[in-house]
Amino acid sequence: MLKSKSKNRLCFFIFVLTIMSCVEDVDFDQAEDLTLTPVVASSVVYTDVEASRFSENGIELEQVSDTIANIEIFTEEFVIDNLVRTELIFEATNTINRTFGLQVDFLSNSDELLHTLSFDAQPSNDGSEVVTESTHVFEGDSQEALKLTVKMVITLRLYPSMDGSILDENSTGNITLRSKGFFYLNIPV
Amino acid sequence: MFSKRLVIVILMLTVKHLFSQNKQLLFGFNDIPQSVLINPSTTLDNDWFVGVPLLSHFHFNFGSSGISTFDLFADDGRDFNDKLQSVIFQLDRSDFFTATQQLDIFSGGFAFGRGIEKDRYLSFGMYLETDVIAYHPKDYAILAYEGNATNIGRVFDVSDFNLSGEMVSVFHVGLTKKVNDKFTIGARGKIYSSVFNINSTNNRGSFLTQEGQNNLLIHTFNLDFTYNTSGIRSLAEDDNSEVSDDIRTLRRRLLFGGNLGLGLDFGFTYFPTDQWTIEASLLDVGFIRHSKDLDNYAVNGSYVYEGINPLFPEVPNGQTAEDYWNEVADNFEELFEIDTTATKYTTWRPTKFNAAVRYSFGERISKDCNCLAEDSGYLNAVGAQLFAVRRPRAPQLALTAFYYRRLFEGLQFKATYTIDSFSFTNVGLGISADLGPLNLYVLADNVLEYQNLARSQSNSIQFGLNLVFGSGQ
Repeated sequence: MLKSKSKNRLCFFIFVLTIMSCVEDVDFDQAEDLTLTPVVASSVVYTDVEASRFSENGIELEQVSDTIANIEIFTEEFVIDNLVRTELIFEATNTINRTFGLQVDFLSNSDELLHTLSFDAQPSNDGSEVVTESTHVFEGDSQEALKLTVKMVITLRLYPSMDGSILDENSTGNITLRSKGFFYLNIPV
Repeated sequence: MFSKRLVIVILMLTVKHLFSQNKQLLFGFNDIPQSVLINPSTTLDNDWFVGVPLLSHFHFNFGSSGISTFDLFADDGRDFNDKLQSVIFQLDRSDFFTATQQLDIFSGGFAFGRGIEKDRYLSFGMYLETDVIAYHPKDYAILAYEGNATNIGRVFDVSDFNLSGEMVSVFHVGLTKKVNDKFTIGARGKIYSSVFNINSTNNRGSFLTQEGQNNLLIHTFNLDFTYNTSGIRSLAEDDNSEVSDDIRTLRRRLLFGGNLGLGLDFGFTYFPTDQWTIEASLLDVGFIRHSKDLDNYAVNGSYVYEGINPLFPEVPNGQTAEDYWNEVADNFEELFEIDTTATKYTTWRPTKFNAAVRYSFGERISKDCNCLAEDSGYLNAVGAQLFAVRRPRAPQLALTAFYYRRLFEGLQFKATYTIDSFSFTNVGLGISADLGPLNLYVLADNVLEYQNLARSQSNSIQFGLNLVFGSGQ
């Protein structure tokens, strides 16, 4: 009798332990607050143009430009929903004794101009590298404009020289452009 | 209240808390028939047994090597994102979450042999096993959480994603044979029928963002990622929305209609003296060949991206920026293109190793000699056990010290203290009770944590009912 009583108690104890164990103060609903905020860094455009390339048949070119069309990345649903801020950072390195203007135009599907950014790359008087940095922040309206962009036009404009000299096929030096973007995402999970 | 707890336990699972497969309490507990599944050379303390169908053995275990549910979900007013961030960084890529479940469908066994002393024992049965292990995908988590902007120069490792999960039904027959008074051996053959399998354990490669030369940044992608599944596709298909169809499919797979495999268990028990026992076993040395109902995904390729290079078409022989861009876009598309295949694959079962040294003491004084000749005749045993299981990255190990005691006739008790990846304070308790021919057992791990399950990093529970006849009865 005593034996089976103890036996039962032990069994009971183990069962109680198993079933009545506690889970205290835990709130799984918190997971609903989860928001991911990664910042994606990406190379954007780069180029290296020699001074002599601004001359064609002895005539100085005023500007060169190029177009990137069919850009799908900014109009992706994921980007539209989650991209909250963009920084584009340009770095121009100039060894030509001329000032260049760099302009990037952002165009919509219907070639409507949505946004423009520009900056000047300072001249190099002695052929040494002159670095010009320029940061462009897209927030609010400009950020919304970016999300409609499917085409970018990049223009490198050569400002007239102070002394009237022009670049010819024998001109030395070059201008390089490097850039990167920081894309700030806010992804509610 | 109970149902709420059940929900939480299930939730804990969905948070991918998993289990180890260590059955340190059951190992060597030869009053319980299912101990012969841990070592096929274990001599059961009965002449024959029948497991109560579906109730003879239930095992459930989860483990998380780095954190507990409480670390993440404690209702402490702290911002969940902050907590998640600290978890992501606190955990190492070798931290893992595991879950295991085992359910006996039927089981039985009987002693036989020539002469009075039956020197062989045949045991058989069928069980359903679920096993999942997921390593902390640290680099993926950091990339998702921070992005690459603050991680310039950091190599994101593709192999950080390492996950395997499966449900198998196992039919087994094992034989225990006493070679002589000092030596018993055993082996068990198994046929596996995979209900489903997910395997992504051989990923390689990296993603790296560095300061560049031509451009400010250079991105290097080197991806070799595969995610194999079997048994999922037919269940997930939309045109098969009838639940009853799915149930029929599952039932067929349980009864060897799934992807099949073979396996073996081996074990020996050695009694150098009357009081000392040394035993070891190797379980689930086997494989499953996945050839039906496959859905495999692969991302494979290398690419170095520096940006878009406008060459200005006014400049002679220039490729336009648009051409360049199209090429870049194509390359990216190709890089991240998911190849869907139905390539057959083989998975190896998580092979387990168990070993124990046991010292028995305290002779039983029996007033009414009932001549239980097979009985060791000792009331107590102490010993040490080692457990190891093969896992995708490295074996998972556990070391256990135990104390075993026969409390009364037909009531045995075992306590364990285990050190493993999950904790240094794992105390387990188990009892086996015989009420007439009915054998009932409950084994619980990590009992100190039962005051708050959420704080615990691992738990396992096993229980079962058998009808046992002869010998110890």
